[in-house]
Amino acid sequence: MTVIDQSGISLAQKIAEYRRYRTLFVFLALRDITLRYRQTLLGVVWAVVQPILPMLIFTVIFARVLRPETGPVPYSLFALSGLVPWTFFASAINASGNTFAANHNLLNKVYFPRAILPGAAVAACVVDLIVGEVFLLILLLWRGYRPTLEWLWLPVIFLLTACLALAVGVALASLMALYRDVKHVTPFLVQLWMYATPVVYPIQLLSPKFRWAVDLNPMAGVVEAGRSCWFGTPVNWTLLAVSALSGILIAGAAALLFHHLETDLAERV
Amino acid sequence: MKTVSVRGLTKEFKLGRRRSQYRTVRGWFSRGTRRPAAPADARFMALEDVSFDACSGEILGIIGRNGAGKSTLLKILARILRPTSGHVELQGRVGSLLEVGSGFHGELTGRENIFLNAAILGMRHSEIVRKLDEIVEFAGIGQYLDQPAKNYSTGMYMRLAFSVAAHIEPEILLIDEVLAVGDAEFQKKCMQRIEQVGKHGQTVLFVSHNMQAMLRLCSRAVLIEEGKLVEQGPVTDVAATYLRVGGDNRGERRFPEGPFAPGDSVARLRHVRVRSRGGETLAAVELNQEFGIEMELDVDTPSMVLFPVLIVNNEWATEVLWCTDVDTEWHGRPRPTGRYRMVAWVPANFLSSGPMSITAAVYSLAPRVEHFREPDVVSFQAVETYGNETARGKFTGYIGSATRPKLEWSVDYQK
Repeated sequence: MTVIDQSGISLAQKIAEYRRYRTLFVFLALRDITLRYRQTLLGVVWAVVQPILPMLIFTVIFARVLRPETGPVPYSLFALSGLVPWTFFASAINASGNTFAANHNLLNKVYFPRAILPGAAVAACVVDLIVGEVFLLILLLWRGYRPTLEWLWLPVIFLLTACLALAVGVALASLMALYRDVKHVTPFLVQLWMYATPVVYPIQLLSPKFRWAVDLNPMAGVVEAGRSCWFGTPVNWTLLAVSALSGILIAGAAALLFHHLETDLAERV
Repeated sequence: MKTVSVRGLTKEFKLGRRRSQYRTVRGWFSRGTRRPAAPADARFMALEDVSFDACSGEILGIIGRNGAGKSTLLKILARILRPTSGHVELQGRVGSLLEVGSGFHGELTGRENIFLNAAILGMRHSEIVRKLDEIVEFAGIGQYLDQPAKNYSTGMYMRLAFSVAAHIEPEILLIDEVLAVGDAEFQKKCMQRIEQVGKHGQTVLFVSHNMQAMLRLCSRAVLIEEGKLVEQGPVTDVAATYLRVGGDNRGERRFPEGPFAPGDSVARLRHVRVRSRGGETLAAVELNQEFGIEMELDVDTPSMVLFPVLIVNNEWATEVLWCTDVDTEWHGRPRPTGRYRMVAWVPANFLSSGPMSITAAVYSLAPRVEHFREPDVVSFQAVETYGNETARGKFTGYIGSATRPKLEWSVDYQK
């Protein structure tokens, strides 16, 4: 028996509901993937092209001007290993952040567990992440890199990145349901966030004065850790742990925000 | 078995929030300097202390005027809105058909849309696979199944959407005004489908302004007026009350200035009443008396060709009269903005007696747009009269016809 009253439903009921609606999760993600590549000439190749284009730009301009020290690793591969997870992260938070505002009509007409919308948007982007990373893997093998045991950590790191994207996406979606301003600020902040993350430059390039910014930034930890695994440099576990901690804080804030908004979403959005 | 139990259900909207849709950060900063749209504590009671039950196998009608709170009630049962107080107990899964096709996407094929929409409505993958053929068959889109939905005609689109929704098999089904979909034949199919659902032991809560559908499908109904449940019982009694009682404003209904009146950016309804030639508002009209149905509306977008339509329904929800203005210079002519007061004059000795209810609407054609359609906006009583000036004359028996015109007769007599 279902009881509807002011207090909403219990956590256990919520979990049961998300389980029941997993079909919806799958089909929403499939819809996003289908729509993204339908009627395009290149199709899923775009998942590879998207990080490659900025890589070329950064390799041609940034590497020549600043000559960042990337050790034995060629700068182009170095940049790509950061740009693939970053492109995923940026497109995932952009897509999931829009979901509540863009689907207000649906939210007002049908009930389903609300977090499925941003969740499916992130899941749809994971396909791009996988395609991009597989491309990077092929590139590395071709350039003579040999698989190491560290590569086994990579899926875990990607999963962390996806969780982080979901947390930020849910927070953005909730904020955007309340204030449409968020929509206009987001692209700018994402751009800024990328430069604050060692995506196209080595973390050593950053002056120690700004290291706190990297420590607070959970993306710094996962990008750095992923890169260390790929190229066989020692993983900076402290940085990863700090990143995980700040990631958990962000997820907690997102969960609180979403929980506060969830039951009245149809009225607010 | 009792499947739906609603107790003391109350829903209050905060008006400020509702009106502005969403807040902006700018609004934060300028809160002190700008005049607020509504006082911060302005509230609107959409539902007040509503209680009723429904059992399995029952189709319960929910009757009320636009804005009475019917949709709010269904949205609470569907868990889209949270009640302010009171509670609801539901036995079994709830499926809602509040508006068909909300989740459709033109770029997806019919098949993809079926899967996605069925999932939105809460169906599992295995269920959808099992029902797919049935859904396609019911919608009648067979060969177009793998075409993008953007190539579908409006009719096909709506049929597919309804078909998906009609095949969810929850224990409790909520239906809000969906029979306005598709052609007559498809509507008949929909009605049969809903009847079947009731027979399979499911509970259906059915909201519609179509009183004939209501009378045919439901056995019991509840009447909601201004958020309160005012009557429940056999559908014939409740429907009769609904059509008889025009609220406090018998023979007349005035809407507030501003955007809350029925309508859109093109035309907005302001005032409807039943009147005499002398300009007096009438709550009751004697059958041998001529009367006018007056509609006042604002046209806010210039150069539109608008068709004002007035419909009179009798207590059995039969349309006894449909009319539009073909008489004046405004017929088929673009209208400048401004306020229009129009009166349709109904001749004496035309209606039959009983409670009557007026529906006011404005349409434009090509493309066909309904700017507003306010069912049962005003009700009045057509009062029986006897005597030589009436269509009844000295006849005193029961007359059950929808109209009772006083016709010209001729008689040939032979001995």
